[in-house]
Amino acid sequence: MHEQAFRFGSSRHLVGIVGLPPVIDHGVGVVLLNAGMVYRIGPFRLHVDLARRLNALGYPTLRFDQSTIGDSGAGGKLLARPEQVVADVGEAMDLLHQQTGCRRFVLFGLCSGAQNAHSVAHADPRVVGAFFLDGYGHRTLGQRLRHYLPRLMKASVWRQWITRKHAAPQVRPPEPAFVVEPLPGKVVGGQLADMLARGLKLDFVYSGGVSRYFNHVRQFRECFGRLADHAGVSVSYFQESDHTYVLSGDRQRLLDHVAQWMGRHFPVTRPG
Amino acid sequence: MKARIEADLPFYFGPGRELFGFYHPAPAASGTAVLLCPPLGAEQIRCHRLYRQLAHGLAEAGFPVLRFDYYGTGDSAGRSRDVDWARCLADVATAATELRARSGAQRVLAFGTRLGANAALDATDAVLAGVVAWDAIADGAALVSELDRMQDALKVDLNRFDQARPELDVRLEWQGFETTEHLRTQLSGVGLPPLGPRTAWLMSKASDAALERADGQESAAEAIDVEPRWDDIDRLEMAILSHPLIDAVKRRLREMA
Repeated sequence: MHEQAFRFGSSRHLVGIVGLPPVIDHGVGVVLLNAGMVYRIGPFRLHVDLARRLNALGYPTLRFDQSTIGDSGAGGKLLARPEQVVADVGEAMDLLHQQTGCRRFVLFGLCSGAQNAHSVAHADPRVVGAFFLDGYGHRTLGQRLRHYLPRLMKASVWRQWITRKHAAPQVRPPEPAFVVEPLPGKVVGGQLADMLARGLKLDFVYSGGVSRYFNHVRQFRECFGRLADHAGVSVSYFQESDHTYVLSGDRQRLLDHVAQWMGRHFPVTRPG
Repeated sequence: MKARIEADLPFYFGPGRELFGFYHPAPAASGTAVLLCPPLGAEQIRCHRLYRQLAHGLAEAGFPVLRFDYYGTGDSAGRSRDVDWARCLADVATAATELRARSGAQRVLAFGTRLGANAALDATDAVLAGVVAWDAIADGAALVSELDRMQDALKVDLNRFDQARPELDVRLEWQGFETTEHLRTQLSGVGLPPLGPRTAWLMSKASDAALERADGQESAAEAIDVEPRWDDIDRLEMAILSHPLIDAVKRRLREMA
């Protein structure tokens, strides 16, 4: 393991960890964005494990805290949040370039991190690929049918529905800590088409933890139509996993998936 | 304030530069510095923001501060399954030495949460002058049982999973982090040491053993109610923040300094 801690950015307000492979081939670096408000190590240390796995495969990495998250402070300029995200990730890519020489970048984002990765991938030409975990998608007729039809066949569901009508209202479980605010599907689809036209490789991974809006690998086509056929698009649905990959076996499977996807689309010429 | 935050320095230290630390220099350094010992597992991530806020507050009050991650946790080297209690205690001592070297302070006080409090209390090699302990673990075996119970509930939690995972062995991991039989055995033996540094006790829920110990040391325990609770698996990813706690820790450390 060779990692270095940095305070960086035009206002020196950002904090991150650069992970270096034993040999750098000046190819592609990977930048890991905050998942919700979790600081740079990621949910249950997912980003640390992933960064080190990628370093061992030969990819330089940067896991960092965006402005006002984790150990990072506020930027010096008054920017709206979306512009601040693009500026922060841009400065993160600057740092990784200074430290490793790589000029092309793949972004990794979970939940709001996927939303942010989408914005940056659309705005910054240095981005050549992105992992969107539980990112954009919306409920479709197919999603509703897959959700409700099996339940209609279960006697226990009917029994529960009837008893609930006579019972006191239940306390709702807390809202999930991670929520992606939807952009209109047409806007998202248009931006994805722009990225693919620029040659980006995009990997969409959905977990069973977001089955309230996405519950089958086929749903990507229901949401975004012919984009699903594009050679630059990969879609996976990890139904067993929860939204933050709390189980180590699920995290391992995700890491394997990321490593394979990187090897397929951005092979390292001189592996670490 | 902004200029001071920019002076805060992330770095790696210790043998092999395996430990990650964050040093917060004090504008007007006194002869006392403060080491912040984090809890383990999901609790470490939940407390990250609180520790950062506390570090800034203490530095403003004149205490140089070092936050750090034990081996196998946070940004430090090592896998999560490599966490070892004896190594945690050694890391507290390594961090205390680093803090003395960076700050020039002769005395080092510590604050710790949950197992982080026990680590500070047990790390005799760190030669700490005093410890503020928040929800220290009085009965390690009970903690292990509680973590197992939470993992049992988590794997069949349909608010989290689309389908329950009853087949999973709860002994292999606790709330997002792999564990080992070795660590389970080590933590089962954790308790409050019979003799330790001068201690101030903060508690977010009643703990008879800790209260007895506090009485024995003629140091009143202070109740601090913090939400969400440590054992709330519905809020496992939610940060624990508390300005009353930060105020209490600062006050207790100032009294000890």
